[in-house]
Amino acid sequence: MSQLLNYLANGLVFSSIIVLGAIGLSLVYSIANFANFAHGDTMTIGAYTGLVTLGAIGAAGPELLALPMGFYLALLAGMVVAAVVAVATHYVIYKPLDTDSIGMLITSIGVAFVYRAGVQTQFGTDFREFDITILRPVGFIEDAIGVTITLHELAIVIVAAVLVVALHVVLQYTTLGRKMRATADNEELAKISGIRTDRVITSMWVIGAGLAGAGGVFLGLYNQLSPRMGFNLLLVVFAAVILGGIGSVYGAMLGAFVIGMVNQLTPLFTDYGIPIETDYANAIAFIIMVLVLLVRPQGIAGEGGG
Amino acid sequence: MADETQATAFEADDRDTDALAERVVTWFIGLVVAALLLGLAVGLVSPAYLLYLVSLAAMFGLLSLGLNVQWGYTGLINFSVAAFFGIGAYIPALLSASGSPLPWDVSPILGLFAAIVVVVLLALAIGIPTLSLREDYLAIASLGLAEVVRLFFRNQQNWTMGTSGLGGIPTFFEGVPFLGTFAQEMPTVDLGIYTLGFQFWNSLLNFLLVAAFAVGVYLVLRRVHRSPWGRILRTIRSDEELAEALGKNTFSFRMQAFVIGSVAMMFAGVFYAYSNYYLTPGIFNPIYTFYAWIAVILGGSGSNRGALFGGAVIVFITEGTRFLGLGASFRLFSVGLLIILIMRFRPQGALPPKKELIWPSAHEGGERSE
Repeated sequence: MSQLLNYLANGLVFSSIIVLGAIGLSLVYSIANFANFAHGDTMTIGAYTGLVTLGAIGAAGPELLALPMGFYLALLAGMVVAAVVAVATHYVIYKPLDTDSIGMLITSIGVAFVYRAGVQTQFGTDFREFDITILRPVGFIEDAIGVTITLHELAIVIVAAVLVVALHVVLQYTTLGRKMRATADNEELAKISGIRTDRVITSMWVIGAGLAGAGGVFLGLYNQLSPRMGFNLLLVVFAAVILGGIGSVYGAMLGAFVIGMVNQLTPLFTDYGIPIETDYANAIAFIIMVLVLLVRPQGIAGEGGG
Repeated sequence: MADETQATAFEADDRDTDALAERVVTWFIGLVVAALLLGLAVGLVSPAYLLYLVSLAAMFGLLSLGLNVQWGYTGLINFSVAAFFGIGAYIPALLSASGSPLPWDVSPILGLFAAIVVVVLLALAIGIPTLSLREDYLAIASLGLAEVVRLFFRNQQNWTMGTSGLGGIPTFFEGVPFLGTFAQEMPTVDLGIYTLGFQFWNSLLNFLLVAAFAVGVYLVLRRVHRSPWGRILRTIRSDEELAEALGKNTFSFRMQAFVIGSVAMMFAGVFYAYSNYYLTPGIFNPIYTFYAWIAVILGGSGSNRGALFGGAVIVFITEGTRFLGLGASFRLFSVGLLIILIMRFRPQGALPPKKELIWPSAHEGGERSE
């Protein structure tokens, strides 16, 4: 039982990271209308910006959830730089293009390579870690319910939750949110209604890439940093977005939750005598993705059309 | 009326830039060939290495020819090229290598036929669920399924040797009279700056093998492309509803194109296995899929000679940067930049297919499917 709770706790942490990537991917899909293959590498940029920032200012300041203020500044820097890079990419590369969604998709592969090459040139291909002490699981939680979770993992879940709620508020209760929803729904109509869709698209890149940057920093805290970290996660994030319904932000959140859980619950197969190694956790996510596409191409929360 | 004049003006403009592109490509090829010959003359490029480079270009050419059938002819966004490349390498190798965990020890040529069977089955397994999907979903789904194949070969240590790699792969012609011992038995020739020994004869044999694959595949594809079958594929690409209205089962035709393209990619894998003698699951790395895509887009979607040219450019980039001592990051960067520049300035590719009578909407969206 406590084993199952442990898997669920891991699932929650992993889901929190995926959700931060999935929202941006889904926003780009609904507003810019293409599958952005550079999104994973945007996460990588966020993570390495965090690494540099933390290295520069050091793990200083008072601590919150066992993470120094320096880390939170690094997180912020990761979000900002990821957003700036994405907006610059939009203006320099995507916007002047005169092509369809497939052309955009292919271009974004090129962009992904350029991002990753940039990170690789600066930092090499070795694995790196944030200069933060690795924690032991929180004692009283382990004693009470047998779940081994560290304060850092709790911090990931809590900050992700804060960001997701903030996005929800922006989307539902602000003018920008209404404009974004209108643009996602029908760009032409939004334009005719007097919405400056250019600005909306820019804000979309800021929000999507900012969240991806945060996801990248957390991925680095959860695992390690490497130039391929974001790209390796990209397909899992795609699985989440498709599962939830491409273009639906709330669907992406739900999809990320399910895919993250499934990913971390994979050991259950072996526990119940089905010999599927945890190495296949991602494979299971992809197969779920294909099955969903087959049965319900619009995803769980998507609306018709496919 | 005004519109018509404008359209003709655009077409004339297109023809001009096409002619320019053709000249640029000719010059590029000419310069590279001249540089290689010069390198050969001054002792920088050994004959064996030159053969290796040409063989590699033919190998990438096979990958892009296969993808061209799927994307260029039919409009299928297949992102599982690496899976078919890897299967083409692993299946015959597993069946014929001494280091294989599988008990059989068949001749590589039988292994090739086994690979065809497995590739057709895999193409059906990937194609049945994905080929009816919307185009960008197909991209993501096929990339995901290729990852599943990669994870399988990585983790099933007991069948594939997993990450430790599969060694003891024989030459392709093992057991064949004359060719089987060709490289050992040919005399060593002294040419002054070069000595043509075992390595050279072996490279020559490998080159002849991949050249035979590439020429065979090229001729077959050119033939089928000009047949009524090829016309139906182009119709599906440009206007699927029209094809349906003409009573064509589009799913079946897409599947045929998918299978044929996958078999072409498999040949590239077979060559890879028998010229490297050692395989790791790294061959399933998605980078090979992206290389094939770049080659096809660069050459011009739908154009077979463009696909071969694209394959050669990939080798120029990958081996050229290695030759100049530039690292993997630079390679990645130049490949990425190349994709962006093509999509921005010449989305139809360097050598787009020549004009032919086809439904007008085939010309939409930047690429032309003649």
